[in-house]
Amino acid sequence: MAQQPRLIDDHIRKNKRDTLLICLFMVILLFSVIFAIGLVFGAPPYIMMFIGLPVALFYILITYSFSVQSVISAARARPANPQNREEKILIYKVEEMAIAAGLPTPKVYVQDSKDINAFATGHKPQDSIICATTGALQQLNTAEIEGVIGHEMSHIRNRDILVMTVTVGVVGAIALLAEIAFRMLFWGAATGRGGGGGGKKGQGNIIVILIAIIFIILAPIFSRLTYFAISRKREYLADADGAYLTRNPEGLARALEKIKSNQPKDPKGSKTVAPLYIANPFKRALKDSIWSTHPPIDERIRRLRSM
Amino acid sequence: MDLATIIGLIVLVVIVVIVVWILSFYNKVIRSENRIDNAWAQIDVQLKRRADLIPNLMETVKGYMNHERQTLEAVTKARSAIMTAKTPQESINADNMLTGALKTLFAVAESYPDLKANQNFLQLQDELTHTEDKIAYSRQHYNDSVLSFNNTIETFPGNIFAGIMGKKERQMLQIPEASREVPKVTF
Repeated sequence: MAQQPRLIDDHIRKNKRDTLLICLFMVILLFSVIFAIGLVFGAPPYIMMFIGLPVALFYILITYSFSVQSVISAARARPANPQNREEKILIYKVEEMAIAAGLPTPKVYVQDSKDINAFATGHKPQDSIICATTGALQQLNTAEIEGVIGHEMSHIRNRDILVMTVTVGVVGAIALLAEIAFRMLFWGAATGRGGGGGGKKGQGNIIVILIAIIFIILAPIFSRLTYFAISRKREYLADADGAYLTRNPEGLARALEKIKSNQPKDPKGSKTVAPLYIANPFKRALKDSIWSTHPPIDERIRRLRSM
Repeated sequence: MDLATIIGLIVLVVIVVIVVWILSFYNKVIRSENRIDNAWAQIDVQLKRRADLIPNLMETVKGYMNHERQTLEAVTKARSAIMTAKTPQESINADNMLTGALKTLFAVAESYPDLKANQNFLQLQDELTHTEDKIAYSRQHYNDSVLSFNNTIETFPGNIFAGIMGKKERQMLQIPEASREVPKVTF
């Protein structure tokens, strides 16, 4: 018994370190894109830093400050009603998991949907929200709901919403900058003034500029893949953490089994926050893929059962 | 720069690193000790809450279960044990007593269909189960906090400074195996 928590603790620490590395990689990627654009247009790097960086930071800030409202309204979620027995049990379970995690109790929301799903949102633990679908409340038993809530509580405790919104911000900023660069490039080519003062420089410079252009094309794809990778890692982490909170991995495993046999029919919500749901509300990956936001459910169940 | 300056700088850096480490270690110990105290306060709140629900429950079942004198008395006795408990372990033991007594009471209630149909009774039953779960989870959080505190002060090199600070290993709350089973009240 004493050995178990230590093991999971180490696992969590490793996951946190990995995520930090990935976040660092995202920031470096963003900087590289800004420099590459500067190179293509022949602008000195420091000028690009003065224009590109504020644009990118502003974009991230906007994404961050509107994330909670946009998630709630996109999901068409409403506050849970304590008069309803099912929703009252949900409130109870959220209170219990908050105690287990040593966090303030999040607000409890319900989303009217036949699918089995749940998500967490909020910038920090003090103003977080946990939301479950009515389908989940009807089809899951108490131990399974507890497992799901434990998973969501772990997303809150690990500050996943923060990491995910920042990552979404970086992905968006890179896409935006690449888009702007291309429009300028095409416009420049059409008017016969491609690439700033590039014409006078030698053959070597053209190759560098070509590489920079290819990099700008690939960067949005890169950043998106990294985002998916972070998302998948965070899912495993929240599964492990959630199981540690409930001390009952089987509850979450059973809930995931039910989710697996209940493919999404009634998707609501926004694609940006899909990683914060317990299972992707839009489509389910059955095999391991670099394009999916969640790891395959079978693998998650297997890992939970081997704890 | 001569050699003496370089050595002086290195020594300075090493000293600064050590001082920063000691400060952050000190804060970590204090923080995790506070977390234990807070975790205990949580348990206490839940225990009181549970004890407060008992008179209501008694009021509700009185009309139906007059013949179950022994069962009712056991619950009342356990409740007053919670109210008078002084140490954490005493409180936990009293709570275990109450859990057992309530388990019997709810089992006996099965044979009173009128009582089982009583909305008030059902609600109290839900709420008592919920408080029971909350107690279990706050106990778990307490033990988690104790574990992380003990790990902090007993691993090297923290153990040296923990000794200087006079911090000793904290005890986890011991729970008898049988009382891990929460009274099964079906929803």
